[in-house]
Amino acid sequence: MSDSKYITLVSSEGFEFVVLREAALVSPTIKGMLRSQFSEAQTGRCTFPEISAVVLEKVVEYFHYWYRNRDKEDVPDMDIPVELCLELLMAADYFNLDAKPAMRDAV
Amino acid sequence: MAEEPTLPQLPPFLPADKRKRGRATEPPTTHSSTSSDPAFFSSDDDPALDNYQNHGRRKRRYVGSWFDQQPASSDSGVGDDARPSFPFPRRSRGPPQPQKREFRRQLDSGVWMGTEGNLTDTDDSFDLEPVPARFPLTAPRAQPSIPLSPARPRLTSQEQQVQNTIQSCVDRGEELVDLSGLNLESISDALLNTISEITPIPSVAKDVAFEQRDPQIKVFLSNNRLRTFPIALLNIEHLTVLTLRGNRLVKLPPAISKLRNLQTLNIAQNYLRFLPGELLDLLEPGSKLITFNCEPNRFWHPATASGNEQGAEKYETLTFAPCTETMTIGSTWKGLTTKLQSRTPVHFIDSAGKTYSHFTLPDPGSKLSNVHVLELEPFTSLTTPKELAPELRSHSATSKVVNPRGAKSLFEMALRACATSAEADTIPSWLREDEGWPRHFAPAVENATQLHRQGGVTCSVCGRETLMPLAQWIEFRYVRRTSVEQRAEGRLVRETIGLEETSGEMPVPFLRVGCSWRCVPAKVELAALEGEDDVDVSRGPIESLV
Repeated sequence: MSDSKYITLVSSEGFEFVVLREAALVSPTIKGMLRSQFSEAQTGRCTFPEISAVVLEKVVEYFHYWYRNRDKEDVPDMDIPVELCLELLMAADYFNLDAKPAMRDAV
Repeated sequence: MAEEPTLPQLPPFLPADKRKRGRATEPPTTHSSTSSDPAFFSSDDDPALDNYQNHGRRKRRYVGSWFDQQPASSDSGVGDDARPSFPFPRRSRGPPQPQKREFRRQLDSGVWMGTEGNLTDTDDSFDLEPVPARFPLTAPRAQPSIPLSPARPRLTSQEQQVQNTIQSCVDRGEELVDLSGLNLESISDALLNTISEITPIPSVAKDVAFEQRDPQIKVFLSNNRLRTFPIALLNIEHLTVLTLRGNRLVKLPPAISKLRNLQTLNIAQNYLRFLPGELLDLLEPGSKLITFNCEPNRFWHPATASGNEQGAEKYETLTFAPCTETMTIGSTWKGLTTKLQSRTPVHFIDSAGKTYSHFTLPDPGSKLSNVHVLELEPFTSLTTPKELAPELRSHSATSKVVNPRGAKSLFEMALRACATSAEADTIPSWLREDEGWPRHFAPAVENATQLHRQGGVTCSVCGRETLMPLAQWIEFRYVRRTSVEQRAEGRLVRETIGLEETSGEMPVPFLRVGCSWRCVPAKVELAALEGEDDVDVSRGPIESLV
């Protein structure tokens, strides 16, 4: 069981992003992956074979954006490049970074 | 005088050396591929004898230079996908038909054969068209720049009429644009945008100082067949009178509150089910709106006419940000205000468009919805769906949804990027065609695009702009003519004048929108109603679950 402050997210191309664990926990999906019975929880390393590095980088940026601003109000929006908007929509759905009461009782 | 020396004789003026001709007038050099009979050749890819034994295989004939041809056999190195430059080696359709060469006149053969009579046998009788130079040797002559009018889409006669009316108003500086009774079903934004160019012509009289004033534009669009509110009207800053009476409007855009100079708004006799809550900004002390006609319409009605005015004021002050009224002491203001009668339960939605509460607002767009009466909820209770209870309970910072005014969700930000992009209209159809995308994406993008076009929705509670409302409810309010007097600092005295003048007895529904599940009506504690003013009221309680 890895108790490191950081976890590693790996994109489909093999790019690795080292993220603050607390920031990444905003995503219920990652929270679920880091439960004790999964291998991700032991290694602290989550692989996403269907997410490209460009998108995962933006997602990681969002994790930190959210972590920085978690107690603040009237936060300016993060910059979303238009060409990535559909992929990010998909990624937001995958990481449960939307307003849905999903995954809560499932995990 | 004859001896006077004369000027030396000028050399004879030759316009140009006759032997040299301009490039453009030069007779065309015969080009092997453009004139004369194209070369004929045949090729046989597989000249084996047994190919000829059975059915007398013909040799293929090709016309033209060999390098223009398609490779005939599929085993040659070049693929077949290059377009054939001649129709001759036709391999795609059906079995190859032996093409017979027919003899006919090749128009560009370069061989001129005389016909009787009408042409003489001299070279002067026909002019060859000058062949355009293959390379631009001389700089192209500068064309005199003609101001080309931009290509306009073809206008219908109605649109033409609209355009003429608006144009004559612009030309004459007339502030009243009368477009009523033209059977218009829609008006393009481009036509309406010219209205804002209207500038009044100031009256010039003797001994009167020249004074420039803001235009007071009046637009009459009554008795048409408009189904959607023309968004371009929202850009007319000095719009003072707007009449949309007798149309087929189903919705008003929330951004109508941008029209701060509006004095008269007539939206009677439409198909409206509700009004946007943002319109309440124009129905507050300090606004310029004096005349407001909204009846009759197909408004939703509260289930009980009596309503529960108990706690209405408390609810308003707790739920919404206090409005800062800047009136000088002693001044009075006369205009329209509203008085809250009741509200419906909250309709909770998630980003996938799924409803969680038992109460749902009917879709105002669908013709099938015959719902006219909406149920009410007392101000002292707030029904929250069971599924959302854990979301609402977790006050910690790790909860992503419940922090109003905090960081937005990635989904919402990506949705905004989609809705504001240039391809916003085509994205939903892409999403629908491809099975790989989740189903709820297309309607979400469509909805967000529509909201964005209308100028966006602001959350009624926290005031943040959103494209993804997560909670909505209806408030029933009376519209009343009021005079407000500021007697002392921070104390407003309201007086209602002539209740029946404006909207009669029926309260008007206003849609309130919340950008998160915690941007919902505050629950007024019963104790607070009984007179104890200091009772703390919590927002988003979860005691009363469905």
